Amino acid sequence: MMNSQWRAIQSFQENQNLISAINTLSIHIKLEMAGHSDFNKADTVSQAREKLCTFLAELDTQVQRVEVENVPLLGVDPRRRQFVNHLIDAKNSYRISSPFLLEKLSGGQHLLYSDTEKDKKEVLCLLDDLRMLLEEHLGSDVEQLFGGM
Amino acid sequence: MQELLEQNNDALCHEIEQLQHLLSASEKDAPDELHAYITQIKKECDTLHQRVLRNLKYLELEQENLLKDILSETKLVTFDFFTLNGQKVSPILRACASDRLSLKFLQWLHATHPKAENIPAAICDGEFSIWLIQPTTVYCTPCTSQRGLRNLPIFFHEFGHLLYTLHKPEMDALVNELQKEIKNRMHSNVVRNDQYEQTKEIEQDTVVATWYEWAQECFCDAVGFVMCGPSFAYAFSMYLRILGRSQYHMSKEELMNSTHPVTWIRIQLLADRARRMDYNTVADDLEEKWHQVASALEVDEDFGGFYDDPFLPVIQEKLDDMLTETSPREFQETEVSNRRSESTITSPVALLNIAWQKFLDDPAGYRVWEEEAIISFLGNNI
Repeated sequence: MMNSQWRAIQSFQENQNLISAINTLSIHIKLEMAGHSDFNKADTVSQAREKLCTFLAELDTQVQRVEVENVPLLGVDPRRRQFVNHLIDAKNSYRISSPFLLEKLSGGQHLLYSDTEKDKKEVLCLLDDLRMLLEEHLGSDVEQLFGGM
Repeated sequence: MQELLEQNNDALCHEIEQLQHLLSASEKDAPDELHAYITQIKKECDTLHQRVLRNLKYLELEQENLLKDILSETKLVTFDFFTLNGQKVSPILRACASDRLSLKFLQWLHATHPKAENIPAAICDGEFSIWLIQPTTVYCTPCTSQRGLRNLPIFFHEFGHLLYTLHKPEMDALVNELQKEIKNRMHSNVVRNDQYEQTKEIEQDTVVATWYEWAQECFCDAVGFVMCGPSFAYAFSMYLRILGRSQYHMSKEELMNSTHPVTWIRIQLLADRARRMDYNTVADDLEEKWHQVASALEVDEDFGGFYDDPFLPVIQEKLDDMLTETSPREFQETEVSNRRSESTITSPVALLNIAWQKFLDDPAGYRVWEEEAIISFLGNNI
């Protein structure tokens, strides 16, 4: 009723789910490229792909609103607003190498479903950058929930 | 890296198995009302165990380019285990007979909504709040509140947070509309286009951004009132009204990006809702008591531009829309007016309202009455 820890929990859980989806897909693609079969079920991989696709679609709209239209993000969770700004800062400070995160987030959604070797490498690069940003973002929720040790 | 990941995953595997044994041992003594929760937590424990075993299998492949992914996955499993080991299993391992009151009440509360009915609930000790780690929910509750009826209405506010989460996209869209309306009501008619105007614009954006979180709290208060009636208003008001100046006034700096509105604003919204639903006595009581304390504390009604009278109609309109969207079970007139005959107590809502009436009418006799009422509630007589 008076504390806001539940918000940190929700943000923490959302980020955990996203990073887990990234790991699932990244491992799956790497095993596929090495000619190994995955221990994850096909359903799990496809759910991970869908989750990331939905996330990229939301992010695309939100980044556009801030970067291009320069309007405040209304009706959006404060932690997500922070992540959008975190992504924009990372772009401006050249910490990101994936062209899909840098310029064409909407293209990233189609890329996730591509089967070509070249695109798979692009996907791995996109997932790597996205995971780095999400893990950085997760830090403050972890701090609030588990404190320092 | 390969070796350290094997060590961490082996250690995690061992700890998860320990927890599985602890859960099995605690299960037989736990209250019946906790069993759905225990089943879910055991399932989560098994899932974590599977994830660790999968990590170990990936490590057996000795494929170097997987190590970064396995490192990240090991970190995720470790944090998930922290929440399981710290917060989620605690309601099971600490369970005692007195939990039955809150648990039975929460079971009923979740069953009132189609989207919440299959979400198991548990309680833990602490200040009133909610841990929404789906697919389970833990309600933090002060120790004495777990053993009495008077503060149980506050669960309805926490339940509002669950409803918000279950309808998040639609609710966020409504909050977006509310934020725009508030922004419109703040625009001055004079256009100066200078430094003052720019500063003003930034201040207004801060107010509008703050209302994202405030709207959720006000929605949860509205859920409390429409579901539980006057007993919610009384419990909420009494719990917070003597907690000091910060409930009545905050500086602009404190208000900026605060997660909760000043409680006095919430009381005004609650009183307005009560009045609109023809509960004038409740509305008058809330306003009067809060004014009494405010004047004793010499606090003036000033919310630093974060809330003004012109906001009220639009806030209530959007809260109404949010209630329509989430459709919580509304209290029935008979549940809040059946004060004379206790044989007409037909639901937990009726029980809480009669409890509050008893407390207000006869505080000295309340404790004895409450003990009997709780026994009756737990004995399935309600």
